[in-house]
Amino acid sequence: MLFNLNGTFIQDVVKIFTSAEYMEMLLEGLKCTLLISFGAAMVGILLGMLVAVVKIIPSKSPVMKVLNVVCDVYTTIFRGTPMALQLFLMAFVIFAIRGFPMELVAILAFGINSGAYVSEAIRAGILSVDIGQTEAGRALGLSYGKTMWKIVIPQAIKNVIPAIGNELIALIKETSIVSMVGMYDLTSVAKILGGGRYLASYIAPMTVAALFYLAIVYSLTFVIKLIERRLRASDKR
Amino acid sequence: MISVKNVYKSFGKLNVLNGVSLDIQQGEKVVIIGPSGSGKSTLLRCMNLLETPEKGEVWLDGKLLTAADPSLHENMSTKKERKAFEKEYGVNINTGRAQMGMVFQHFNLFNNLTVMGNMILAPVELKLKSKEQATKDAEALLARIGLLEKKDVYPATLSGGQKQRIAIARALNMNPKALLFDEPTSALDPEMVGEVLALMKDLADEGITMVIVTHEMGFAREIANRIIFIDEGVIKEENAPQEFFSNPKDARLKEFLLKVL
Repeated sequence: MLFNLNGTFIQDVVKIFTSAEYMEMLLEGLKCTLLISFGAAMVGILLGMLVAVVKIIPSKSPVMKVLNVVCDVYTTIFRGTPMALQLFLMAFVIFAIRGFPMELVAILAFGINSGAYVSEAIRAGILSVDIGQTEAGRALGLSYGKTMWKIVIPQAIKNVIPAIGNELIALIKETSIVSMVGMYDLTSVAKILGGGRYLASYIAPMTVAALFYLAIVYSLTFVIKLIERRLRASDKR
Repeated sequence: MISVKNVYKSFGKLNVLNGVSLDIQQGEKVVIIGPSGSGKSTLLRCMNLLETPEKGEVWLDGKLLTAADPSLHENMSTKKERKAFEKEYGVNINTGRAQMGMVFQHFNLFNNLTVMGNMILAPVELKLKSKEQATKDAEALLARIGLLEKKDVYPATLSGGQKQRIAIARALNMNPKALLFDEPTSALDPEMVGEVLALMKDLADEGITMVIVTHEMGFAREIANRIIFIDEGVIKEENAPQEFFSNPKDARLKEFLLKVL
């Protein structure tokens, strides 16, 4: 396929938005980006919650101690190494199985990485709830689990939402590195569309791709704000 | 009713309680006073095991509460072992705590729940009362403290005095055998101290067992059956209020009273 984006910037942008062929490719890329982001967000939040729970529970049992060490190693490794390298290793070493879907590899790679950050955000959120709330719950005879579930976690969620929103936004944009392992996401599609005779041919498709990212992030921010407003109902004075 | 026997507690290198023993009778009002850092709050918190004593025993109604605290028994790692132990001593830490209401300096109302939610959460969760019964009782208690119209608001909208009175009502809705007060008026604006003390005085007149850590000497003199002076983690003096204030014997207590009275 030969692309001909060599008019003025405006002409090129109009061309991208009006030609079915361009649009179809961009939407394919958008779908890939959204799929990876959404899947990774789910994996990350779930994993993050699990790890946070393990780290928060004050248990002396040997099983929990081992789990604690495992979780510490996990956060250290996945926060301490570049996402691009993790993706490479996942795609070409760990999941280098013929026929293993690349989308799933990407979802796992980004999800596992994200989980490390999310777990710390959740942990911080739980720790930020005044210890007096826990004490009051326990003093009334509620068990540790009930106190956490009914009192501490509902309050922690409010503190955690902004940090998780931040993490999700970073995650969406970071998925653009999947082109490195040969996937066609929004960014790599834009790169293909721009592959004309001049370097300037990249400007229009890249700008359009940027607009798409902006739209995704803006909608996400909007949803987060809605959730936050609802959760803050009990803070109104 | 509540017995503290030779309790030791330290935080790191700091020894807060150095062998405190104390017996509280049914219906008694005991006020604990002492300089800051003397261990009076820690003693109170040891009574319902919010702090776990390193040594010593806490008894509630003839049952060994400290036995129920799993953190005191390193070898009791499985749930089964703990259950067996609790059965033997007939007490579980949570049911023990449910029988002692605690009122905190900083109120500690649950911020995510309305006033009514605060009042009924524990009695309903612990199946002490049905939801209807708990709500009915809570309404009666709120009416008594004159805050019934606040039942559907969140704690953030209340004044300190209102919060503390609701915290007391929340404890009462558990129908506790005893109430523990940890400096209930220390975080209040001076204007609001009166309303909280008045409520406590009311409760005292009804005969509920109370253990109060406070700096309100006038109040202590008025309601206490017994006042305890604690310093450096030991009980330095205990006496009936009249004798306690008019004829203190311990040197440190004399000095303390000079400063606060």
